[in-house]
Amino acid sequence: MKFSPFFHFVAVPLALVAAVSIASAEAPNKAPTVINPPPTAQDWADLAKLPDWSGVWNPKISDQDVQVKTNPPPWNETAAKKIEFMFAEEKAGRPRLIFSYCLPEAHPSWMLVTHNALEILFTPGRVTMLGESDGNRIRRIYTDGRGHPEISDPTFHGHSIGHWEDDTLVVDTVDIVPQAPLAISEAAGLPNNGDMHVIERIHLEGKDILHDDLEIIAPKILTKPWKTTRIFFRQRARKFDIVEGVCETGDLAERVNAEGDSVFVPVEKSIWGHTLAVPAK
Amino acid sequence: MRNLIKSIGALAALGMLALGVSSVAAHHSSTMFDHSKSVTIKGTVVELRWVNPHVTLTINGSLSDDEAPSEWLLEMTSPGNLVRAGGWRRDAVKPGDKVEIVFSPLRDPDKKGGALKKLTVLATGEVFTANIREQEKPGLE
Repeated sequence: MKFSPFFHFVAVPLALVAAVSIASAEAPNKAPTVINPPPTAQDWADLAKLPDWSGVWNPKISDQDVQVKTNPPPWNETAAKKIEFMFAEEKAGRPRLIFSYCLPEAHPSWMLVTHNALEILFTPGRVTMLGESDGNRIRRIYTDGRGHPEISDPTFHGHSIGHWEDDTLVVDTVDIVPQAPLAISEAAGLPNNGDMHVIERIHLEGKDILHDDLEIIAPKILTKPWKTTRIFFRQRARKFDIVEGVCETGDLAERVNAEGDSVFVPVEKSIWGHTLAVPAK
Repeated sequence: MRNLIKSIGALAALGMLALGVSSVAAHHSSTMFDHSKSVTIKGTVVELRWVNPHVTLTINGSLSDDEAPSEWLLEMTSPGNLVRAGGWRRDAVKPGDKVEIVFSPLRDPDKKGGALKKLTVLATGEVFTANIREQEKPGLE
């Protein structure tokens, strides 16, 4: 079969243009994929310029205790009544469970009331906090210059972006689930009920002492932003190495079943969270 | 049928709450224990549950020589904190070990339990404590 010159020089190009136009019309307007670029050697080298936050950091629990009285959050009227009731119940030996079902203590309560250690890892574009006692204590703080997402997708630790101001890491966190408690102890705290915003300035206050200066904006339960500092001590002894912790094991006992398999079986807990009875072996 | 099962489940849950019984683990306050009191008990280790967030120790013991031994359940902080603050290990005590324990009892006098403060293994004299506020300075060894 032979084609005329018209076919080669006019018809074929026209058909190609038409095909491309149809394809373009059918394809959705897809935004370019945003990637996390592979770190360069310089990115890794730049980490060495950051302050040394290595080691394990354990909290100053006695200061948490003191601040319950000396620096309480500016609760609104409704919240204050609930907190007052919680204190009365705790004093009477009926402490409310603020952290039930082994859910994460969440942000910022993990920072505020933890009794366990944490460690802080620097990698290009990110600071990561890993906590002890529950496997669910993880904070990812993006330091690659990104902003918060346009569409909110709340999580227990929220969406955190950070930047360095000299040797201080400034962290801005939003998109925290409304159920996450703002807790001042293990028996006093309230759901933030939404729109909570946390700003932190984390820095060394001396060679082996870390301060987390928090400003907590929780408009549904506070009358104004609450400023507080949490203190952590650096440990390097290996006995401080963080160990795996799974909160749910507190509900369980290790047993061997009738088939000879190693299994977990439930223990009996009180409504206040302590263990009442462990099944016999 | 499904509604019947739901109703039974709800009633069971209410009954559990009425008894003060639950199955939810959590980090919790310890004011169900009377920290103004210190009680000493001697007994035999039944089981050490090395679990988060609260380790428990069950012993068969009595508060005095003229009292028949019975099971007591004592609670502590998490394994990580016990290792650092109290010198504990998963095998610090084993079933059958004779121990003396100082603890703060539950406020409910009908319940045999408490918050462990100090344990002595009678055969070796080894002592383990449980005060997490004893690690509040940097560079501990």
